[in-house]
Amino acid sequence: MSVSAIRRLILIGLLIAIGIALSIANPSFLTVDNLMTLLQEASLTGIVAIGFTLILITAGIDMSIGAVIAITSMICINFISYTQLPAYIYIPIALAMGCAIGWVNGFFITHFKLPEFIVTLATRGILAGLALIAAVKDSQGFVKNVFIQDEVFLAFGETVGPVYIVTIVFFVLAFCTQFFLKRTRAGTNVYATGANPTAARLSGINTDRTLIGVYMFSGFCAALTSIFLSARMMTAMPEFGIGSEMDVIASVIIGGTPFTGGVGDIWGTVIGTLFLALIKNGILKLGLSPYIQPIVIGGIIVVVVVLDVWYKDFAEKRAARSARQKQMQSKEGV
Amino acid sequence: MNDPRNSDVLLECRGIDKNYNGPMVLSGVDFALTRGEIHALVGENGAGKSTLIKIVTGVTNRNAGSISFDGHDIPQEHSKNAAEKLGIAVIYQELSLIHGMSVAQNIYLTKEPLLSGLPIIDINKMNTMAQEMIDRYGFDLKATDVIDNLPIAQRQTVEILKALSNKASLMIMDEPTSSLTSTESAQLFKIIRLLKSEGISVLYISHRMEEVFALSDRVTVLRDGRKVAVLEKEQISPAEIIRLMIGRILTDNESHHQMVKKDGEVVLEVDKLCSEGKLKDVSFSVRRGEVLGFGGLVGSGRTELMRAIYGIDPFDSGTITYLGKPYVPTVEKSIAGGYGFVPEERRLQGIMGGISITGNIGIANLDTISSKAGFVSGAKELERAQKAIALLNVKPARPEVLVGNLSGGNQQKVVVGKWLIRDLKLLIVDEPTVGVDIGAKEEMYQTIERLSQAGVAVIVVSSDLPELTRLSDRIIVLRKGRVIKEFVEGAVSEEDVLRAASGLVEGGAQ
Repeated sequence: MSVSAIRRLILIGLLIAIGIALSIANPSFLTVDNLMTLLQEASLTGIVAIGFTLILITAGIDMSIGAVIAITSMICINFISYTQLPAYIYIPIALAMGCAIGWVNGFFITHFKLPEFIVTLATRGILAGLALIAAVKDSQGFVKNVFIQDEVFLAFGETVGPVYIVTIVFFVLAFCTQFFLKRTRAGTNVYATGANPTAARLSGINTDRTLIGVYMFSGFCAALTSIFLSARMMTAMPEFGIGSEMDVIASVIIGGTPFTGGVGDIWGTVIGTLFLALIKNGILKLGLSPYIQPIVIGGIIVVVVVLDVWYKDFAEKRAARSARQKQMQSKEGV
Repeated sequence: MNDPRNSDVLLECRGIDKNYNGPMVLSGVDFALTRGEIHALVGENGAGKSTLIKIVTGVTNRNAGSISFDGHDIPQEHSKNAAEKLGIAVIYQELSLIHGMSVAQNIYLTKEPLLSGLPIIDINKMNTMAQEMIDRYGFDLKATDVIDNLPIAQRQTVEILKALSNKASLMIMDEPTSSLTSTESAQLFKIIRLLKSEGISVLYISHRMEEVFALSDRVTVLRDGRKVAVLEKEQISPAEIIRLMIGRILTDNESHHQMVKKDGEVVLEVDKLCSEGKLKDVSFSVRRGEVLGFGGLVGSGRTELMRAIYGIDPFDSGTITYLGKPYVPTVEKSIAGGYGFVPEERRLQGIMGGISITGNIGIANLDTISSKAGFVSGAKELERAQKAIALLNVKPARPEVLVGNLSGGNQQKVVVGKWLIRDLKLLIVDEPTVGVDIGAKEEMYQTIERLSQAGVAVIVVSSDLPELTRLSDRIIVLRKGRVIKEFVEGAVSEEDVLRAASGLVEGGAQ
């Protein structure tokens, strides 16, 4: 069995074990209500994490995702407050805005050959500031808490049966993205661009176009999340999403997509997202202070990364040994 | 002009001129290549070989001249994609495969077979197609093997398959054997002859003369951007090519090199060194003024042994005695104690390309150029750099030049140079002349000989057999991490070393 398959099984095993432990510790954990809320939480992080996974496969990083959530939710709330336009007009506009921001990120990264981190950190700052400026204010200039009453918009926070729509969208998007990565040429290009950009270009892959596409998708995912988040909260605040990078990065890393590029997939991210949501839910259900959440998440990131590095080293040595043996054998065959 | 082959010309370049906003790199070069021939392009570094290749493959544009390929005139504004579409493929010196992907994925990258009418890759079909192609050529590969697990020689095979899948009619190979062992090279030559029998032309660039003689149907010699000669098969001779390439005659060392026993005091003694999976009971010693050669195939543990005695990798058991005292090596202690180490992979381990010659030399000599408080003296650093440049004849002799902009041979001189200005007692060189042109190679040999005459113990690791037999006073051959054979005094030939390395001594093949 491959390294990543073993890793995944261990993670699923842990997920189940923690789930069982929690349901013993607190009977209110294993209720449909709690599980659906947990899945809803996971999906909100997960949709962004899907886009972020593609970014990591290209060996990039997108620091602007949180700020994209903030600015797109401000766009929606402005449409809701000041216009009579229906949701099916301004939601696509908000999603297009997410793509456009991704395009700007990708353009600066590819056209001016700038480091991904710097470009997206800069757009993060700009967008976070714009979100505050764009926020709906009261007469004294304070940010106003607008209650959304648009039923079409609020429908995004609803359920189908017991399952939240956002959860369904998350799983459908995960399936489609996974299929895209593994079974289309464009998906293959994403891996090639991350694994070895020079080789990819020599093979005729337009790596710039691939990168721009990936950043646009990341922006799209963040914008999509902002719609579900606002619909769930029935309001939108300019600080929505700011700081959510932590959870997104943690989910993807736990899921087994490394920062080195060329490797990773969406199923790993789905499991990572569920794992993280379970931990966060568990902290609440155990009656612990929610303030320890970021500490626990940070700790998990460190543990996972250390284990991954350690295991990768081990696996590489093993592969090198088997390659050597193979080579020796072929020599002896001569 | 009534040569029958002319009727079947695949590539014809006429009067090619090229300058990169400066001196002429190519002037009036004519070059013709026929279908199904193996044509070697030789010349010293800077003769214009790479530029000619870049023009043919569309990486750069020519200033004047005409090119036709397979009956098509290639316009001055040529491009890589256009070259590929015409059937010109380059097997890159730096392998250009995607890690983490399978053999089949690499072969069909960007042209994966799709399910009919859908933008979805047909993985089964892709694997079957790749396996069919592998089997047709009789390669030892599986379509589903992941690239990362293959040895370099097999990765090269994948590159060739990739070119074949592009229906290439010309394959350009630039130093394809530079990282291969002798056995692997022999395997590659078989493949090249197979390509020829399929009617594919191969344009072959190599510094290794013996390969050029063994393979080529014709040889074109370039010197200083001009075509000097085209030799037909029957005219090809080592002495002639070298004379044409450099315009002077190198003293030809006889293939049976006489080794001389040296009896200086022992500098380094290694006893029963073991390292899990790498080395097993390796014992040897090296004396003052002696050049000790290490032969063996790639993966035989030579590099691992050097890393262990220099202090990069720890070992499990065994003892090392250095200058008469027990020694547990660490890199810092080794450098302070008079070791020099020239690593195998120059670009990865030897040089810092973005830093000047001065900086590269200074970094290994910080102890001698800085004050006790740790401040570096710029003047002292520059003086050391100038000394190293002068000692080794680095070109250009300007200490401020970035090492990444130097030619391979000059980069290697800088790597050696940073040790030479120290009080050196032991120099370890691992593959000292890979990717280095003939002139610089000769200078490297002379440097090593000069050092040994000055009393430095030198350990040379090399896969280049003529190099190994020429330099060494004694040769130890490793195989699977063990010392398999030691050649001490008297005559040794390349065959002797190769036979030992491939396990043909000690009672035939195992």
